[in-house]
Amino acid sequence: MVDDATLEAWFCREVFPLERALTRFIRRNWREESDVLDLRQEVYARVYEAARDGLPRQAGPFVFTVARNHLINCARRARIVSFDQVADLESMDIQPDVLTPDRHLAARDELRRFEAGLEKLPRQCREVVRLRKIEGLTTRETADRLSIARGTVEQQLVHGMRAVADFMRGGSGKVRRPTSKARARNQE
Amino acid sequence: MSKFDRTEEAAARWLIRYEESDWTDADQAELDSWLSADVEHKVAFWRLKDAWTKGDRLASRRADTVTAERQRPKLHRYFQIAAGLAAVLVAAILLVPAMLGNGELFETAKGVQQTVLLADGSQMELNTATRLRADLAGARREVWLDSGEAYFEVVHNPRRPFVVHAGSHDVKVLGTRFSVRRDGDAVQVAVLQGRVRLDDIERAKPSSSAVLTAGAIARTDDAGVLIRQASAERVQDDLGWREGLLVFDQTTLEEAVAEFNRYNGRQLVIADPAVAAIRIGGRLQARNVDGFTRLLERIYGLKVETDGNLVTISK
Repeated sequence: MVDDATLEAWFCREVFPLERALTRFIRRNWREESDVLDLRQEVYARVYEAARDGLPRQAGPFVFTVARNHLINCARRARIVSFDQVADLESMDIQPDVLTPDRHLAARDELRRFEAGLEKLPRQCREVVRLRKIEGLTTRETADRLSIARGTVEQQLVHGMRAVADFMRGGSGKVRRPTSKARARNQE
Repeated sequence: MSKFDRTEEAAARWLIRYEESDWTDADQAELDSWLSADVEHKVAFWRLKDAWTKGDRLASRRADTVTAERQRPKLHRYFQIAAGLAAVLVAAILLVPAMLGNGELFETAKGVQQTVLLADGSQMELNTATRLRADLAGARREVWLDSGEAYFEVVHNPRRPFVVHAGSHDVKVLGTRFSVRRDGDAVQVAVLQGRVRLDDIERAKPSSSAVLTAGAIARTDDAGVLIRQASAERVQDDLGWREGLLVFDQTTLEEAVAEFNRYNGRQLVIADPAVAAIRIGGRLQARNVDGFTRLLERIYGLKVETDGNLVTISK
């Protein structure tokens, strides 16, 4: 049984750098775009469960095999998904290109990438993250400095944290909010 | 909001709290229990933390290049977040909570669902047409389910039990996942994980308590409590509404129609008892009335007539 500290270090070093390729892989093989991020999170969970019994020698093939099996299971379980999708997935070979992880970034590059992600944030969100990470201000000080509510500071931190994490792993780095479609539906 | 969004949002809030100076052993225990409640929590938290801490070196670089105006204590000592936040609306949907005598009010209109993250890290998901009040300030964490249905993921805390009052019954838990549905006096409890105790507060005899474990579904009415030990999968189906799905398995059309009517302004009516008894199965979108009636026409050869907001199904 591998302990959590070892697993966490392994995830950060080997698994999360594969995120861009993994997301692309799921998107290519699953019809519902809105399921992609849920599926990715489930794949990480399955990877965790499988790696607990022993870390694999190579993370890449391991992660994509887990991902493929998970998609097949999901397609089988969801009776609303047609059966040809299951057939497609079962006959699918994992493409060699998805097995190549993004180059591991050196610490300095990671810091640059963090800054680039920060630059992409909306103005207020960027300012809140900057004040916390660089100036070391408290939530209250940030709220006072920007004349906004503390709850807003916290919400902007949540947005910023998530968007920067997405960008650092090769995503678009956009702030995720409830979609306008979801809002329209809720106001019916 | 997708499951990914909910989990990651919760993980982000944990991470913000984690950086505070007043982080205690008790907080750590709570975080540990949230992390071990679901593997997805753990991987989401690790993923965010990994990226977020990469930015920590920005502060040290600033210290190298800029003369600080004043000495700043360590970064984390500063982050005090309004601890008094009784609840944070995660889904940020249109309903405004209002303070009442018995805690904070949360309501959803027909067809609307809402996720609420409570100050203790527990989470509630309100289904369609639901009204409940939450009070987390007291010695016990208490929720009053006035009507409708909600799913709870409760953070373990042995010192502060979590109680859901549903009419004549109380549901007591320490830390687990379960749902409670109330239609007038009838209460249904489905347990996905852990154990809960169901007490009939009107009879208040030991025999009127029942302990439910994972996979159990209990229904109460005037006559008493009926407990069925199903499976986690069956409970999961019962919770299909969390993904906007209704899951039917050997369900009569009468029951299926009643389920659809909970979610939609357009009401379905069955004109013929023989039609009401037809059994159906499958997974259907709760808001897709048209899709459902088309299936009935195509597969069962039934007649569907729409008159304004009333849809009549007959042979």
